[in-house]
Amino acid sequence: MGLLRYTLNRVLQSIPVMFGIAVITFLLVNSMPGNPVDIMLAEQEASPELIAAIEARYGLDEPLHIQFLNYIGLSWILGAVGIPGFVGSPPGILQGDLGFSMYYERPVADLMLTRLPPTLLLMISAFAFAIATAVPLGVLAAKRRNQPADHVSRVVALIGVSTPSFWIGIMLIILFSVQLGWLPSGRLVYPWRDPSHYGLTSQWELYYQTVRHLILPMVALGTLQMATIMRVERSSMIESLQKEYVQLARAYGVSERKIMRKHAFRPSQLPVVTLIGLNLTSAIGGAVLIEMVFSINGMGRLLIQAIQTHDYQLTIGTTVVIGFVFVIGVIITDISYAYIDPRVSYGEEN
Amino acid sequence: MSETILEVTDLKTQFYTERGVVRAVDGVSFDVKQGEIVGLVGESGAGKSVTTSSVMRLIEEPGEVVGGEVDYMGRTIVGFDDTGEELVPRDDMLSESEMREDVRGNEIAIIFQDPMESLNPVYTVGGQVKEFIEINRDIDGKEAKAEAIEMLRRVGIPEAAERYDDYPHEFSGGMRQRVLIAMALGCRPNLIIADEPTTALDVTVEGQILELVDDLQEEFGTSFIWVTHDMGVVAEICDRVNVMYLGQIVEQGPVDEIFHDTQHPYTEALLNSIPRPDRTVGDLEPIEGTMPGAMNPPSGCRFHPRCPDAREPCREVAPEFRVAAETADGSPHRAACLKHEDVGYWDAGPLDSGASETTPAGADAAAEEGER
Ligand code: SF4
Repeated sequence: MGLLRYTLNRVLQSIPVMFGIAVITFLLVNSMPGNPVDIMLAEQEASPELIAAIEARYGLDEPLHIQFLNYIGLSWILGAVGIPGFVGSPPGILQGDLGFSMYYERPVADLMLTRLPPTLLLMISAFAFAIATAVPLGVLAAKRRNQPADHVSRVVALIGVSTPSFWIGIMLIILFSVQLGWLPSGRLVYPWRDPSHYGLTSQWELYYQTVRHLILPMVALGTLQMATIMRVERSSMIESLQKEYVQLARAYGVSERKIMRKHAFRPSQLPVVTLIGLNLTSAIGGAVLIEMVFSINGMGRLLIQAIQTHDYQLTIGTTVVIGFVFVIGVIITDISYAYIDPRVSYGEEN
Repeated sequence: MSETILEVTDLKTQFYTERGVVRAVDGVSFDVKQGEIVGLVGESGAGKSVTTSSVMRLIEEPGEVVGGEVDYMGRTIVGFDDTGEELVPRDDMLSESEMREDVRGNEIAIIFQDPMESLNPVYTVGGQVKEFIEINRDIDGKEAKAEAIEMLRRVGIPEAAERYDDYPHEFSGGMRQRVLIAMALGCRPNLIIADEPTTALDVTVEGQILELVDDLQEEFGTSFIWVTHDMGVVAEICDRVNVMYLGQIVEQGPVDEIFHDTQHPYTEALLNSIPRPDRTVGDLEPIEGTMPGAMNPPSGCRFHPRCPDAREPCREVAPEFRVAAETADGSPHRAACLKHEDVGYWDAGPLDSGASETTPAGADAAAEEGER
């Protein structure tokens, strides 16, 4: 009840943020030196007429403020209410149209649909890997505080936070793909495609290949997350273990095992969830590099290509979509808060 | 007199800190009989909570119970054998799992000082009461829940069944302390250790809680060890009292005797520091000075630097804990003060000043060595 309203509210609140992102990105890409038509025609001796024709086709001949109004979709609105000069303007972001990619010659929204899923797959598996390993390890380190297991975890964590993910990726490829030949080094096999696309015969084979292809990039991207989550999990658990309610549980004969799994565990997860929520942003940056290293056709690679080719609308579209994914991540974080800690409400009082 | 259920003899608990060994509990002896409320009184730092934690064997690193005996209904919670060189835990001492399964919660339960911190903020109040009842009594989850609601009702939580699913932050401090009492009584223990359970509450709520405990105690026949620094609370609720100072018991006896036939100057000082209807605030006498640390306790009588009655021998001779007065019902009234010993206290002159008297740490240690 409150949950649904809360989520809807948050999504609605994020619209101005998205709009802000679009405006800033628009100004930034237009302030880059060079222009897309030059890059498009770099190989050929283009006549001034051809250049003019292309510019006209993509609306680049208009003054900047008009281009902006067009892109945002304000021109369309002005046209719809009959302001002369704007009638017949194309729809823009406000109408849900993310624009058209000059480089790919396809609508930006189409590209998103093919490029977003691999990135999400990579990010979700990297975080799943990080959480699944870091939480038990952090709890163990807290339980065996200042004993060998704790020291080992501290060293592992230190290495994890201080090694760049792309370097880990390259090392993993050298070791597991090149030297040992155990795992593939690049490209992903998408579980949502038809098995025959990859020359496979069954769904299970497809999933198996997906997992094989995913392991190395997942570990490369997830290691940093694992290291930071593990440390926070450890210190948070140690704090909870000293709380009076844990001592009370002991005084009532609750076993250490149950204290670790229940009494101390759940109150410790709030800082961990906060950290995961925050790290979702930085992980997007990491994903861009990992996609390059492992030749994954995701959002990261798309964004880099868009910037390199001065593909204005694609750059803005990609940025806005990444921003939106981030907003969703924050909402999920907030909802998990309220689930973990009953003192957090969805803010419906007042 | 009814049967003795808990007997603590010469209990010693130490903490090994970087700055040295702290003898937090240094030879404490007392007992608890079936159905009585025994007070453990003293200023903070006197070792009251360490004593009760030792009784439940809940002392954590860097602390350790290093000597003495704790006997609960014929079972050995703490016990040592003297091999001649060192003390080793006795064979008949209950194992950790026996403590957990047979003693903690179902035989001896505890109520902590701070009701705000004692309940887990992320689980429902009822769920927590139910959980402890379920593990400490042989009943299934459904019965435990019914019992938890019943106990919440008994301690005066209005609409207990509806409030079962509320979280601790939805309860006031007094209500939470009631919940903790429900938790303790719900496990049907023989003995409840109440560790300053009303200190964090305001006076009105404190009065209500004391009344509640008095009623329920009679009904359930549970014995209590009531830890407090407040002689007023002792007067209201306790049958017998142990006054602790710096890791030792200095006076012990029935509550009436302690109040009307006080045998130890420290107890007297405690009594003079509580408000009473027959005195005005101006008459209150705070105890002079602060309690020294348990790391280097003063030589002789540990109270001598603050004692208004201190005389020369008090600095050198450690008083013995012995029967100091006759009581109406014959139960012992003990005190540890040289006034009751034949060491020339009455012939000696007073120490020049009370609170300013301090001895260097080295002298302390030497004096202590000499005593042995
Ligand atoms: S022995 Fe001396 S210092 Fe200690 S309490 Fe008695 S009179 Fe005071």
